[in-house]
Amino acid sequence: MEQKIAEIVAELCGADVEEIEPELNLFEEGLLDSFAAIQLVMGLEEAFGVSLDPAALPRESIATPAAIAALIREKQG
Amino acid sequence: MTVLEQLKFFAKTQRTALVDRQETVSYRELDARSDAFARWLLDTLGEDRSPVVICGDKETGFLSCVFGALKAGRAYVPIDSVVPEDRAAQIVADVAPKVIVDFTGRELDAGAKVLAPADLEGIFAVPGSVPPESWVGPEDPAYILFTSGSTGRPKGVPITAGNLDAFCAGLLPWYPEEGGTVLHQVSYSFDVSGCAVYAGISRGMTLFTVDHRMAADLRELFGCLRESGLTLWVSTPSFAELCIQSGAFAQELIPHLRQFLFCGEVLTHTLCDALAERFPAAQVLNTYGPTEATVLVTAAEITDEMRKDSRPIPIGGAIDGVTLALGEPGREIAGEEETGELLILGPTVGPGYFGRPDLTEKAFFTHPESGLRGYRTGDLCYRKNGLYYYCGRVDNQLKLNGYRIEIEDVEANLQKLPNVQRAAVVPVRDADQKVQYLAAFLLLREADGLTSLKRSIQLKKQAAAYLPAYMIPRKLIVVESFPLNVNGKIDKKALAASLEEGAP
Repeated sequence: MEQKIAEIVAELCGADVEEIEPELNLFEEGLLDSFAAIQLVMGLEEAFGVSLDPAALPRESIATPAAIAALIREKQG
Repeated sequence: MTVLEQLKFFAKTQRTALVDRQETVSYRELDARSDAFARWLLDTLGEDRSPVVICGDKETGFLSCVFGALKAGRAYVPIDSVVPEDRAAQIVADVAPKVIVDFTGRELDAGAKVLAPADLEGIFAVPGSVPPESWVGPEDPAYILFTSGSTGRPKGVPITAGNLDAFCAGLLPWYPEEGGTVLHQVSYSFDVSGCAVYAGISRGMTLFTVDHRMAADLRELFGCLRESGLTLWVSTPSFAELCIQSGAFAQELIPHLRQFLFCGEVLTHTLCDALAERFPAAQVLNTYGPTEATVLVTAAEITDEMRKDSRPIPIGGAIDGVTLALGEPGREIAGEEETGELLILGPTVGPGYFGRPDLTEKAFFTHPESGLRGYRTGDLCYRKNGLYYYCGRVDNQLKLNGYRIEIEDVEANLQKLPNVQRAAVVPVRDADQKVQYLAAFLLLREADGLTSLKRSIQLKKQAAAYLPAYMIPRKLIVVESFPLNVNGKIDKKALAASLEEGAP
C-alpha cells in the first residue's frame, strides 16, 4: 500500500517515487494546491476502492504519505 | 451607471446586500459606506483622476470601496491577495495610484497614500454625500483588470461604466425577477465576479461571500452553504467540479438553489450530467466571454438534449445588445458549422489595453459596415442553429482551473529564478482536451546536485515570489537540451509527447 501511495503522490508532485518519504508534508512544502489535493483524493479512491468525501476530510488526514496510509487502513476497516 | 442607481434604490428597502463570515451588510449600509468613501476620495484627490488600487481577498469593506471609487468618478484596480508582491508592484507601477486600499498588510512602496482596514473604518464612520454628477460617466473606466500577458508582465484591461451597463442589460433577463442570493466566490480581480457585483446588486440580490480560506475548505463551505439560502450559483466549472467530488454537494445541501451560471472555461458533459443528477430542480446556464468585452457575451440554458448530444456543450447565443460574427472583420463566415475566429461587436467591447496602443490596434477594431466597436477574441468557434460552440485558441493562451494564463508569461517568470537559464512550458490535457496541469522543462545554469523532489520544492518556493500559485507548473523537469523543430524553435510537441511516454 505504501508503495502505491508513493506512486500516486510522486505523479502529482512530479517527483521520483523513491524520494517520497512517509513524513513528507505535501502542503507545507508547496507540492499540492487545492485542485491537486482533489486529484489526490480521486486517485486514492480509484486505487484502493474506498470512498473518501473531500468535504469530510481534514487537510491533515492527507498531508503526508503516512497519514494517507492510516486513512486508507481506517476506511478499509 | 445602472448599478449605482439600483444601489440607491435598494438602499430604501430592508434588503441585505452582502453576507460574509464576519458581517451582514444591508443595502442601506453599503450605500452609506460607499458614499462616505467617495466623499473622502473627492476631498482628498481633488482634480487627480488616477485609479484607486484595492488589494485584498473578500474583506467586508472591499465592496464599499468598489462602489465608493465609482461614485467618486474613479476607476478601481483590484489586486487579489494571492498575487505575489513582485507582480503586484508591477501593476501598481503601471497604474500610478494616489490611493491604495490594502487589506493584506503587504508593503507596497508606491508613493501613494495607503489605507489600512482601521483607516477605512474611520472613513466609513464619517457620513458623506456625493452628487450623481460625480459618478463615473459612460465613457469613463470603471475598473482596470490585469490579466496574464505574453511578455511576462501583466496586461491591463479597462472596462467603462457604459460597458458594464450594457453587460447588465444583456445578462439580467437571465436572472430571476425577484432577486435572491447569489454566490460571490470569484475573485474581484477576475471579471466573472461581475455576475454578483454588478448584475447581482442591480437586481437587489444578497451576495453570499466566500473567501479563499472558505473555498479551500469544503467542510466549512458546506456548513455555511446550508445556512445561506443560496438561489444562484456563479463560478468556474472547475470550482463546481471540486465541490461535486463530495457526495454532500446536492440539492439537500442548498435546497433553494435554482440556477447555476458557469463562465471562464470549458463546461464539460461530465459536470452537466452530475449536476442534473444532484440538482434536478436547478437550471444550468453556460456562458462565455473575454475580459476585453466585459465578463460574458453569450448564454445558453443547457437542455437534456444538449447533454445527450455528442458535440461539446455550447457556449450559447449572443446576450441582448451583443452582435457576434466569425472570421475576419468585413469578411465574415456565414455558413453553418464553419469554424472561424469569434468576433464580438457592440457596447460591451472595451476601449482597449491600458497604455498599450500597439496591442489595442491588433485586437480591437471598428466594423467596416456597421461602425460597431469590435474585438477579436482569439477563440475559434462554429455556429449551429443559432448556438456557438467553442473549439480552442488561435494562440498560446489557456485556461487552467478557470484562470486565464499565457504560456509565455509563465516561461518569462520561471526564467527569473537564479538557476534557470531557459524554460519551456506545456499544458497537459485530458481526453476532453481540458488542461489538467502545466509542466515546465528547464535548462539549468549549473547542475544543482538535487533530487527531483528537493529541486521541485526549492524552485516552487522561488517561483512563488513572481507567480501566483495557479501559474506555477506542477511538474518541473530538467533537460540537458531542448528538442528543436524545423524552424529552430523549441519543439513543444516533442516535449509534450515525452511526458505522455513518461520518460522525459
